[in-house]
Amino acid sequence: MKFVVLTKAAVPLSTAIRIDPKTGTLVREGVPLSTNQWDRDAVEFALKLRDRYGGEVIAISMAPPSGIPALESLIGMGVDKAILATDRVFAGADTWATSYVLAKTIEKYVPDYTLILAGEETIDSTTAHVGAQVASHLNIPYVYYVYDAEIQGNKIRVKRFLEDEGVDEYYEMELPALISVAKGTQMPREVSLSRKLNAREKIMQATNKELGLDPECVGLKGSPTFVATQTGATFPPRKRKIYQGDPRESVKALVEELKKEGLL
Amino acid sequence: MPCKLWPPVNKEEYKGVWVYLEHDGTKLKDVALELLGKARDLAAKRGNAPVGGVLVAGTDEMAQEAIYHGADKVVVIVNPELKVYTPYEYANAIAKVVAKYKPEIFLIGGTKRGREIAAFIANTLATGITADCTALEIDPKTGDLLQIRPTFGGTQMATIKTPQRRPQMASVRPGVFPKPPRDVNRKGEIIHESVELNGRRTVFLGAEKRIERDIADLPPVESADVVVAGGRGLGSAEGFKLLVELAKLLNGTVAASLMAVRAGWAPHTRQVGQTGKTIRPKLYIAVGISGAVQHMMGIQESKYIVAINSDPNAPIVQNADYAIVGDYKQIVPLLIEEIKKAKGIK
Ligand SMILES: Cc1cc2nc3c(=O)[nH]c(=O)nc-3n(C[C@H](O)[C@H](O)[C@H](O)COP(=O)(O)OP(=O)(O)OC[C@H]3O[C@@H](n4cnc5c(N)ncnc54)[C@H](O)[C@@H]3O)c2cc1C
Repeated sequence: MKFVVLTKAAVPLSTAIRIDPKTGTLVREGVPLSTNQWDRDAVEFALKLRDRYGGEVIAISMAPPSGIPALESLIGMGVDKAILATDRVFAGADTWATSYVLAKTIEKYVPDYTLILAGEETIDSTTAHVGAQVASHLNIPYVYYVYDAEIQGNKIRVKRFLEDEGVDEYYEMELPALISVAKGTQMPREVSLSRKLNAREKIMQATNKELGLDPECVGLKGSPTFVATQTGATFPPRKRKIYQGDPRESVKALVEELKKEGLL
Repeated sequence: MPCKLWPPVNKEEYKGVWVYLEHDGTKLKDVALELLGKARDLAAKRGNAPVGGVLVAGTDEMAQEAIYHGADKVVVIVNPELKVYTPYEYANAIAKVVAKYKPEIFLIGGTKRGREIAAFIANTLATGITADCTALEIDPKTGDLLQIRPTFGGTQMATIKTPQRRPQMASVRPGVFPKPPRDVNRKGEIIHESVELNGRRTVFLGAEKRIERDIADLPPVESADVVVAGGRGLGSAEGFKLLVELAKLLNGTVAASLMAVRAGWAPHTRQVGQTGKTIRPKLYIAVGISGAVQHMMGIQESKYIVAINSDPNAPIVQNADYAIVGDYKQIVPLLIEEIKKAKGIK
């Protein structure tokens, strides 16, 4: 069985970010990237499935070459091999163009995949789009927010939790299929240095020369959406009355204000 | 030359603002009504374009309810194969209806299910989509939809456009837009469509309600006028007892920051913020919450923000209407006492 995990080499939120003034997109080149935290849950889930059913786990990522260390760490977790789709023409992609490259990479290099796994969402963009869009490009069924799965023949049974409704749901899908793994449910295993040894040999890079995709369908050009402007977040102005010092006096002053505003 | 995988679109053919009408089997979800309100607003700016709704396996009463809340036309998909929700099949069916009616804008509620199907629908229609918009506007120059969303962990606001493709799609979390008034005099059209499924690939096997222990028998955070929220600064689950007492006194409810939820002091259904709920109460009282941008994203629509925090430099103190700097263990009991006095309660 072949378990393909989609992993994003994301910009850690602690990094000072840079926005390309021309495209309004995040500059990822030359920035130290690390695997999106929630994708580690998906990797862990895939490793458990492999340990149980046999086969291999293949991580797939689209990123500049600075995404390689992130993939090395995944090899260190136990991923068998990784494929990095990397090319300047892929830069500036929205989720349509990203998922297109990922789907085409899977079709070309892992055509006999059993299951594709995605993280629930990324920490830097939080769209949760790419999983469903890869499923759409490949025309396979999919279920999101999965925390448990069982494979029987050419079918997979999954359990998922819908937070907003407070319900667990059970589905069965034909394989191949795609799942997104609920964040925070899998306790990703540690990166082991011995496993990480020779990680580079297990990482394949595919440029658009190999993938042969229409340059009009990838990167910024292949993105139906584009960022018109990007600015720092601001919030509506507030009164900013700050009370310090004697607690009882502060509380009295606050209660007076709340009364005045008709809030009590 | 645009990407050849995208069939050419004639923008003139695309008219109106449509909404996916998610329901729970008995009634429309609030987010569907909220989006109808926004849809009317956007349609007005597009020369009084029509407002439509897509309902899967819903009743005519639900369709009627959508009309009372602003829809001119509701398409009900009646295929018995779609009685029960499965993502792949629902997304395909909805995409077919949208492709047929060609709205200029198509909006989906950012519930868990909505987020699950939204991007698949967009791809099927070879168009773009923007997730979790917090504002939607019409570009006065081009007439394009401006899809405004927080990004990069909520530190940035991006305005996104889909200039070449139609429909323009966006998802919006529950509670971001107000619910429009219900007007029983509104008239509209209900159309039944039996959409063909190209085979079934997903089977629903069953569901179970998970019982989560709540901290108090208090209303949900999205419906209360007064919300008292606790963060990591409370230090323990015990701290929430004080907040519950304060909330009850104010006829309000309690909420929590992500950190308080992570600590297990409150259930996730009470989390407010970017990955929690967006609320718009009259009064929001943040106790032991630092006011990280992601938290602020969910509460910025509050009429008044009160902060109780021991750190005068905490961002919430700067972003509040009223802030008391001090230890909540001292402040909150005093506050309860003073409010009781003010209300004449012994
Ligand atoms: C993608 C993403 C999404 C996120 N989504 C959300 C979200 O939806 N909601 C959310 O809340 N967060 C969210 N966060 C997390 C957010 O960045 C913060 O980490 C979180 O809000 C901090 O929680 P807190 O304020 O309770 O804790 P802290 O930041 O630890 O703040 C505790 C505060 O309590 C004060 N304090 C300590 N002791 C006392 C005392 N005795 N009396 C009074 N005050 C005291 C401290 O001064 C401090 O200001 C998200 C983060 C990311 C990256």
